[in-house]
Amino acid sequence: MHTIVVDLGYGDAGKGTVVDRLCVPRPGAAPVSAVIRFNGGAQAAHNVVTTDGRHHTFAQFGSGTFSGIPTHLSRLMMVDPAALAIEARHLASLGVPDPLALLTVDRRARLTTPYHAAANRARERARGTARHGSCGMGIGETAAYALAHPADAPTAGDCTSRTALRRKLTLLRDRLTAAVGPLDAPPVDACTAAFTAFADHVTLVDESHLPGLLRRGPAVFEGAQGVLLDEWHGFHPYTTWSTTTFDGAETLLAEAGRPHTALRLGVVRTYTTRHGPGPLVTEDPALAAALPEPHNGHGRWQGGFRAGHFDAPAHAYAVAACGGVDGLAVTHLDAPARHPALRLARGYRTPDGPMDRIPAARPGDLRRQQALTERLLTARPDRWQTPGSDPRDWTDALSDALSAPVLLTSCGPTAADKTGPPDGPSTTWPVSAGRATAGQPGSRSRCPETSPA
Amino acid sequence: MGSGTWSTDVYGAAAHYRDAAGTSAFDYSDRVTTSSPRHTWTAHASLDPKGLTTRESRDSDEHPASLALAVLFDVTGSMRAVPRALQTKLPELFGLLLRKGYVEHPQILFGAVGDATCDRVPLQIGQFESDNRMDDDLGNFLLEGGGGGQMTESYELALYAMARHTSIDCHEKRGRRGYLFLIGDEMPYGKVKAREVRAVFGDDLAEDIPLPSILAEVQRKFDVYFIVPAGATHVGNAAVLGTWRKLLGQNVIELDDLGAVCETLALTVGLGEEAIDLAAGLDDLADIGSDAGGTVGKALATLGRGRGTVAHSTAPLIDTVGTPGPGGTTRL
Repeated sequence: MHTIVVDLGYGDAGKGTVVDRLCVPRPGAAPVSAVIRFNGGAQAAHNVVTTDGRHHTFAQFGSGTFSGIPTHLSRLMMVDPAALAIEARHLASLGVPDPLALLTVDRRARLTTPYHAAANRARERARGTARHGSCGMGIGETAAYALAHPADAPTAGDCTSRTALRRKLTLLRDRLTAAVGPLDAPPVDACTAAFTAFADHVTLVDESHLPGLLRRGPAVFEGAQGVLLDEWHGFHPYTTWSTTTFDGAETLLAEAGRPHTALRLGVVRTYTTRHGPGPLVTEDPALAAALPEPHNGHGRWQGGFRAGHFDAPAHAYAVAACGGVDGLAVTHLDAPARHPALRLARGYRTPDGPMDRIPAARPGDLRRQQALTERLLTARPDRWQTPGSDPRDWTDALSDALSAPVLLTSCGPTAADKTGPPDGPSTTWPVSAGRATAGQPGSRSRCPETSPA
Repeated sequence: MGSGTWSTDVYGAAAHYRDAAGTSAFDYSDRVTTSSPRHTWTAHASLDPKGLTTRESRDSDEHPASLALAVLFDVTGSMRAVPRALQTKLPELFGLLLRKGYVEHPQILFGAVGDATCDRVPLQIGQFESDNRMDDDLGNFLLEGGGGGQMTESYELALYAMARHTSIDCHEKRGRRGYLFLIGDEMPYGKVKAREVRAVFGDDLAEDIPLPSILAEVQRKFDVYFIVPAGATHVGNAAVLGTWRKLLGQNVIELDDLGAVCETLALTVGLGEEAIDLAAGLDDLADIGSDAGGTVGKALATLGRGRGTVAHSTAPLIDTVGTPGPGGTTRL
C-alpha cells in the first residue's frame, strides 16, 4: 500500500524523519519503490539523522535517500536545478554513492530559476514589516509565473534544448525585471549552461513513469510544508503558493490509474511550531527556550522559529480541511518528559466569545480566510489539557483530539527512535482498525528518559 | 518550512554537474560495508596496525620544524559522524593552523578507534602527513559502526600505538610535545591487554599494561586531549566524563557541536603553542567566516583560563574498587 505523508501544522512537524522511517527496509516487507514529491519545491527542509549520526536537510531529494530509495519529482513539483546540484554534492559527501542517479524528474515539472528567487526577494523586501514569511527562494514566483504564462514557463523538459531554454529564460527575466526592477541574478547564458548540464545528469521521464513506479511496489508520497500553510486553507495571507494537502498526491494516483490506494498519514509534533509570521495561538516563548531546535534557525527571509503548546483546534481544522486522515504520525514524544509543562489547548478565547473549533469552509474564499486570520490573531488558548510526561498518555490525547489512530510514533531523530508501522510480511497499514489500533500493545513506544538527540 | 540550506549558485551547479555525480568521501568504507558481510571486513592496508613499525613525523628541508598532531576518533555508533565532519572541514583546520600562523609545519595523523572486544577493526592508524594526502587516509577509514554498547572503547590501544609506535622530531629533536586528540563518547578499558595487542599489532607483550602507565608514557611525547560531545547520548555520560577528567584533568573538552571539531582542534593547538589567547583565537574564527566561535569559546573556556598546565591529580586515576556500570557489570 502507498502512503501519503502530510504535515498537519505549519511545517517542521517531522515529515522527513517519518519518510526516512518508512523507507528503512523491514524484514518481510516489500521495499519502497520510490519517494514521490508532489508539491512545493526546493524550499522544503526535511531533516533526517541516520543511526550513524549523519545529518542532511532534504530539500528536493526524498527523505528515503539514505536507504537508497529513488526519488521521483512529479509534474506537480517545482524543480530548482541549481539548488539540486549543491544538495547532491552534500549527499555524496555523506556517503550516498551517486545521488543524481537516484533521481527521476517529470519533464512537465516547472523550473525555479535564479530570476524567480531574485524577484521573490525583491517583493518581500518591498513588503517591509508586513512580510509573508517567504523563504526567498522563488517558489511563489514560480507558481505565479506559470499561472500567468503557462506556455512560457520553463519546464525540466526544456533543459534538453538550449535554444528553447534560452528563449524562455530571457522572456522570464525580462518580464520579472519589468515587474519588480533589476534582478540580482546571473546572466541567461550562465543559467542556460547550468540547466542543460542538469538535463544531462538526471533522468527526465514522461507520464508513463509514475504508473510504473506504483506497480513496482509501495511508494511514499512526501508532502512539503503543512496544511495550515495551504494556499486556500491556510490563514491568509500567511500562506504558501502551494497545495499542501493530500490533493496533489491523490491527483497523481488517479492519473496513474490507482485512485484512493494510499494511506493518508498526517504528521504532528507534540507541540505546535511555526517558522515566520502569522497566527500561532498557543505560542509560548518559554517553549522555544526549553525545547531547542537543532535544525531550524532564524531564516533570513523567513524570520524566527516559534513554538507553542499543541494547538488542538488548529490541527483538527487541518484534518478537516484536507479531507481527513487515516492515521497520525506523532513526533517529538520525548518532549513532554523533557518539558513537563507541555500541554494541549482544546479551545480558544476570543473577544467574540469562546471558540472550540475553527470552522472549515469551501476552498477559494480568501476574504473569508483573511477574516479568520484576524480572529485567530486575537484568540488566546483555553481549555488546557496536560497529559503529563508519559508518551502513551500523549498519543491517547492526540488521537482523541484529532479523532484518528496513532500509527507511528517518534521520540528521537533517527529511524531507530520510531515505533510503527507494524513489521511483517505485508506493507498493509491497519487502516480499517480505526482507533482500536492505538490501543494495541507495542503500537506505541515509551521514550527513553534522555533524548537521544 | 524553508531551508535556504542549498545554495542556488548556478556557477557552482554547472561545475558540479560537469563533475557528474560526485563520489562519496568515504569510498572504501561505503564499498566494504555495502558489499561484504561484516565478518570479512578489514582495515585498509594503509591503516592496518598489524605489523605496525613506526609512524614518523620528521623534519625536512621543506618542513624544518615539524609539529606532530594526532587525531584519533571513535568510529562506532553515533560517533561515525566525526570523520565525516573532519573530511568536510579539513581545509579549515589546515587553513587556521597555517594562515593564522599558529603552527608553521603541522603534520597530521588520523586514526580510528573501535572496540577490540567486539569489532572486526578495532584500530586504524594513518600516517603523519603535511599535505592533503591525509584526505586519502580519511577516505580509506572503515566506519564499522559497531561498538559493544558497554560505554567502553579501546582507547587504550590507541594510546599504546601512539606511545610505542610513533617517533616524532618535535619531541626528539626539540623537546616539544606533539598533540594527541582523542574524540569519543565512551571510556577506555582499564589496561592494555597483551592478548589484544598480539591480535591487533602482532606485538608480543609480556604482560598487560595498566592504563595509567601507558597514558604516562604517551604523555611524555604528546599533550593528550579528549573531546567529548556535550550531553552525549549515554545515560552514563557522567561516568565517561568523570573517568576522562580523572585521567586528563582540564584537557577534557566538552563540545556542543561536533561540526565545530576542526575549529576546536585548531584553537587548542594555537593555545598550546601560545600563539594566541582564547579571545584572539575566536577573533580568528570570525575572521575566516566560521560561525563556530560560540561553540568553541564555550568548549575551550577552561583551557583558555589556565592553559599550559596539565593537571596531574594525586587521586587514583581509576577507582580501584570498580564502579558498577549499567547492567550491574563491574568495569575497570
